[in-house]
Amino acid sequence: MTTNNQATKQKIEKGENIIVIEDMNKWYGNFHVLKDINLTVKKGERIVVCGPSGSGKSTMIRCINRLEVFQQGSLIVNGIPMIDDVKNIESIRREVGMVFQHFNLFPHLTILENLTLGPIWVQKKPKEEAEATAMKYLERVKIPDQALKFPGQLSGGQQQRVAIARSLCMAPEIMLFDEPTSALDPEMIKEVLDVMIELADEEGMTMICVTHEMGFAKTVADRVIFMDGGEIVEENTPHEFFDKPETDRLQLFLSQII
Amino acid sequence: MNMKEFIAKPAKPAPSSAAGPVAWMRENLFSSILNTACTVVFVAFLVSIIPALFDWFFWSANFAGATQAACVGDGACWVFTKAWFQQLMYGSYTDGELWRVNICVISLFAVIYAATKLPKDYRNKIAIPLFLVLPFIWIIILNGKLLGLEHVSTDYWGGFALNVLMAAASIIVAFPLSFLWALGRRSEMPFARTVCVILIEFFRGVPVLALFFMGSVMLPLFFPEGTNVDKLIRVWIVLILFMSGYMAEVFRGGFQAIPQGQYEAADSIGLSYWQKNLLIILPQNIKISMPNILATFIMLFKNTTFLLIIGIFEILSTTQAALTNSNWLGGHSTEGYVFVALLFWICCFSMSMISNSIERKLETSHRN
Repeated sequence: MTTNNQATKQKIEKGENIIVIEDMNKWYGNFHVLKDINLTVKKGERIVVCGPSGSGKSTMIRCINRLEVFQQGSLIVNGIPMIDDVKNIESIRREVGMVFQHFNLFPHLTILENLTLGPIWVQKKPKEEAEATAMKYLERVKIPDQALKFPGQLSGGQQQRVAIARSLCMAPEIMLFDEPTSALDPEMIKEVLDVMIELADEEGMTMICVTHEMGFAKTVADRVIFMDGGEIVEENTPHEFFDKPETDRLQLFLSQII
Repeated sequence: MNMKEFIAKPAKPAPSSAAGPVAWMRENLFSSILNTACTVVFVAFLVSIIPALFDWFFWSANFAGATQAACVGDGACWVFTKAWFQQLMYGSYTDGELWRVNICVISLFAVIYAATKLPKDYRNKIAIPLFLVLPFIWIIILNGKLLGLEHVSTDYWGGFALNVLMAAASIIVAFPLSFLWALGRRSEMPFARTVCVILIEFFRGVPVLALFFMGSVMLPLFFPEGTNVDKLIRVWIVLILFMSGYMAEVFRGGFQAIPQGQYEAADSIGLSYWQKNLLIILPQNIKISMPNILATFIMLFKNTTFLLIIGIFEILSTTQAALTNSNWLGGHSTEGYVFVALLFWICCFSMSMISNSIERKLETSHRN
């Protein structure tokens, strides 16, 4: 299995397709949440997804690491098809990091333990190596001095930066951000966005970000996607997206948030 | 540009108007007419009862002597408990071998102490595995055959030590078992879920006395002919299953209180099912469930006195044996039962203290 994964890993170079979603449909009971989603993401691409609440944007990115299960269509992540097989799901999750709206740090573990848990138990790295990597990423998000504290002792912005570092410690190919700044105080939004911008610029990380931060979308995104009613209504470069919206629905949305 | 500098105001001490014992009493004891009346009645009640209690317990009580002849006066005759102390504590366990019982009880407290004091790494690697083998070590020590010591049959095990060890041995096994049942009940696999629901609902729904009778009378009928499982072992199994039924529901409550985001975060890191549940969910669940786990355990500990009904010499049956002894006939039952009650109360109260300290230890953060 591992040799297989490495083979596919080498194949995907910058600019090649790393996520391919075809005709994805999902229902909650009888409620049709995702309708014929088609989306292709290239390695190194930065994508921002926006739309009104209930439009299915979070559900869509949560399907990518199977926090949600879809009923129809296909999904290939880093060359690995998403099928109902524990081995496939686990290898996809190893390639995909996720940052949540409510941080979801483990409250009973210190910051350092939060960061080393995955590397030690999933990647079977020695503790010293995992801790060295963790400290490297804590420095990257500018809070190495908080390593031995517990999540409850940190501010929201600090917790979210720890959550980003926790995902990075697993060396993922893709990072998913599910409204990473929505639960933060206004003064803390910038510190989290700065970390994300740095990640995009320096690492060339493939990123899909559900957010309402239009400033972030304008400066960072390669492509902006607008969703409504479970459909992808429009996708375009930020410039075209904000200046020349093609549909009246997007026009209305933009006029209400800006 | 010349901007006005912002200087934060210094913090002032709180006003002292509400401090002092007089203010406290006015606030808490005499704040209204009803409150004052309650206080007066309650104080009058205490004044009338406390001297009599002390008189019975201490001033008029008999402490010296060794036979019933020493019991004179109106107070308690503690000579009774003194004379029967060994029986009450150890049952009929062989005279010269009591140190073995002591070792078992001390080992229990030593491991509890170690588990609360050791740093986390050692706690997980040493104290917890030690806990799990403890009941089997006790059986080997108390039985003695394997160690080349004098063999003491379970017929002679008894007294308060048996209550304590039985309760501890049951919870030690019931703890992991009930967590598994609770996990099974949440499982998406229909077979595992059905089995766990049936187990939990059966052992929680049937009175513990009925379970004891089943364990001691009915169960042997199902064993193949010739096999003879010791009565005490059968009762131990019954207690484990009974306790597991209750604890599984306690854990289920804990599961429901853990935010969904914790499961999602564990999944997104790529932890397996067991890693997720043991590393992320179990520690948080124990913290949430601690007060209920303790309540369940205290219930189980007190339920060990039901063993008297099926003829096991735990403390209540030894007390009854002592009360009906021909040398001690005639009215020592108050002393006997007060002594038993005090023992249980002291143990349960200490457990409350231990669980409070564990709770404080687990209190690392506020939920997010």
